[in-house]
Amino acid sequence: MKKLLIPLSLFFVGAVLFALSFLSFGSASGDLDISIVKSNSIMPAAHNVYANELALDGKYYLFKAKMTNNGDNTLEDVTVRYRIPGYVEWTELDVIGEMFPGQTASVRCYPKFKDDISEKMTESTEKVEIEISWDGAQEDDIIDEEFSFRISDRNEYLFTNIPAEEIAGWGDVYNNDALLACFVTPNDPIVKYYTQNIQEKILMGETASVTKDPNEAVRFLAGIYNATVLSHMVYSGTKGIPENLQDVSKFSQHNRLPREVITGNTGLCLELSLLYASVLSNAGLDPMIFLVPGHAYPGFRLNGQYYAIESTGIGGEGIGGIMSAEDAFKKGMEQLNEFMQKAQTGDPRYTVVDIHAVNQQGVTPMVLKDDDFLRKKVDDIVTSWGSTGTIAKTSNNSRVASGGNTGSNSGGGGSGGGSSLSFSIPGGWQTYMRPVPEIPIITAQVVAPDQSTTVTVFDVPASSGQEALGIINQYFQNYGMSMQYQLNGNQVTGQTYSNSGVFNWVGKTLGRNGGIRLVAVGAPDYLYNQSSGYITQVFNSIR
Amino acid sequence: MLLFLLLSTVWVYGQQTQQKIDMDIDAVGNAKINVSMTMNAQQWQVWVSTLGNNPAALKREVERSMPAYFLDDFKLEKDEMNRSFTLSLNAYGVCEINKRGMWTIDTDQKNANLTKLTDHKYMLVSSPEEFGGTIQQTFTISFPPEAENIEVDKDALGNSIFKFDMENSAGGINLLMLGGILFMVIGAGWSGVSVLTGRSKT
Repeated sequence: MKKLLIPLSLFFVGAVLFALSFLSFGSASGDLDISIVKSNSIMPAAHNVYANELALDGKYYLFKAKMTNNGDNTLEDVTVRYRIPGYVEWTELDVIGEMFPGQTASVRCYPKFKDDISEKMTESTEKVEIEISWDGAQEDDIIDEEFSFRISDRNEYLFTNIPAEEIAGWGDVYNNDALLACFVTPNDPIVKYYTQNIQEKILMGETASVTKDPNEAVRFLAGIYNATVLSHMVYSGTKGIPENLQDVSKFSQHNRLPREVITGNTGLCLELSLLYASVLSNAGLDPMIFLVPGHAYPGFRLNGQYYAIESTGIGGEGIGGIMSAEDAFKKGMEQLNEFMQKAQTGDPRYTVVDIHAVNQQGVTPMVLKDDDFLRKKVDDIVTSWGSTGTIAKTSNNSRVASGGNTGSNSGGGGSGGGSSLSFSIPGGWQTYMRPVPEIPIITAQVVAPDQSTTVTVFDVPASSGQEALGIINQYFQNYGMSMQYQLNGNQVTGQTYSNSGVFNWVGKTLGRNGGIRLVAVGAPDYLYNQSSGYITQVFNSIR
Repeated sequence: MLLFLLLSTVWVYGQQTQQKIDMDIDAVGNAKINVSMTMNAQQWQVWVSTLGNNPAALKREVERSMPAYFLDDFKLEKDEMNRSFTLSLNAYGVCEINKRGMWTIDTDQKNANLTKLTDHKYMLVSSPEEFGGTIQQTFTISFPPEAENIEVDKDALGNSIFKFDMENSAGGINLLMLGGILFMVIGAGWSGVSVLTGRSKT
């Protein structure tokens, strides 16, 4: 029996080890390393964007977490959930079926706040609690993480979500441009009511979105302006748009919502722009907001052309007077001309927010409830318009002034009906007559020796510069190209888009032999700056 | 969402440009991505002046263009003589295992026209609309040798996804179990021999 003691002991030890192996190998203890990248601040106005992982390529997450299984065991059904006490209940973000040793997984949180967050009138600091567990995880294994972040009030707009130390240029300052669309509220019942009153009481009916007639659309724009003048709305002169990169304090702005601008009867340039955009969108037009250093102004795009108005022309009797709608429109178009030139050179301080385009990328505005008190305030405002506020339709081209009609037939420099628009050709440039037989309206092209710059002469059977540009655009579209342009008097600024890229150009028009001649000079956008000397030289010589 | 990475930062305006993107998946679902381009003289000039001589800006732009991912180990190699560059980076957690134990990777494209080059390599050629057709991307994805039964399917949104099996190559050995079996075998064998020896003497 003594001889069996040792071998039996060995067998017993082996049995114990074998039994223990099921306990430890089957255990699900894990060593999960977590790394979290978080957002510091959330804007309630943009809560629909934060909830949408597809909006703007998913850049507006609340946090993203990277988990690495540094243990020896495979973890099964790794579950990540989070909550924001008071705002979002425990919500499961992801369940990862298995995580092998050494495997990394990442999850992103796009929190769905309730719609009533758009009623938040004060900022607060809130907490996110994150819990990570897996099948068989013990109490000690479950990972709990938390961090604090700021929820601003519904009126705050942050120009950028890039930390101050990472800002390298103006493009970074305007990183949140697209989120301005969250403050454009065409479906707000108060804005709808206001728009309806403008259409009925001031315009006596309008058809801009149906007829796509630029004259009618400009009349509508003027109607909004006159509505603000008649209600004695004033411009609050505090600047809101950042003017220099060092002025970090200006990287956020407290925006009155459009309904608050209407009922409060005052607004900053950006707030007025948001109001115009809301009304234009509600009326079926394509609103634009143009951002320039220290300023913003609204407009719209119709049939490939941009229009703008200086909405702060309402000024105030106490601050320099009030512009007429015509002057405000004229100023807006002049600013737009400058905007186009600056934007073409790639100056990032000049940007435009195309509201509907951004809506389609998932940036949708907050939902606002109807309010009887505010409706009554709109009624009071409408009463203040009196009976003098109507703007009837007119066939006077100069009154509507799309910017181009006035200049087209009378000419921009020609001395008579038979004179041509001529220009000086720099030495060494090559001239080609009728270079594209399929496009008969191209009379000639003059090309620089390095082929970076081109002058094109169009002779179009049209009665106005506007009509001529429309015809040219139609020809281009047949060849897979398209044009966008800005006509101001007899001067034009534009871009032509094709499979080869973008071609920037400037030009002048003149009535000639019963039609319109356009002389346009330009270069591909990546060469525009370096060719600007020749372009300016040729442009100035066009007469 | 990663697969068809549109590196807008390395897009250069002008004539159509060829861009090659290679993605190598490893045995734990991370990806090594290499993006390479050769340009003409004008394109090279523009690219060098904006991003080529400022790798930090290039890294930043790439990170911002892929906000949902964790990226690191950026390396930029320029071949100035031939006006070309290669940008490489790591992307973590690109593939994940779903609740059914299948590895998946989302192409983020509907009805992606994928060409199977080998059992572990697929290719897609596309000309993204976002760049007006000026850039042609040749995208290849290589799966690790451990990946099996690779197939293309669709997710709930209609996007093409890859599904495949892959065993855990780093599976652990249960030393306790092996040790226990070893001791039991030795103990049982020794006992048996002792018993047989004892009987033969008697």
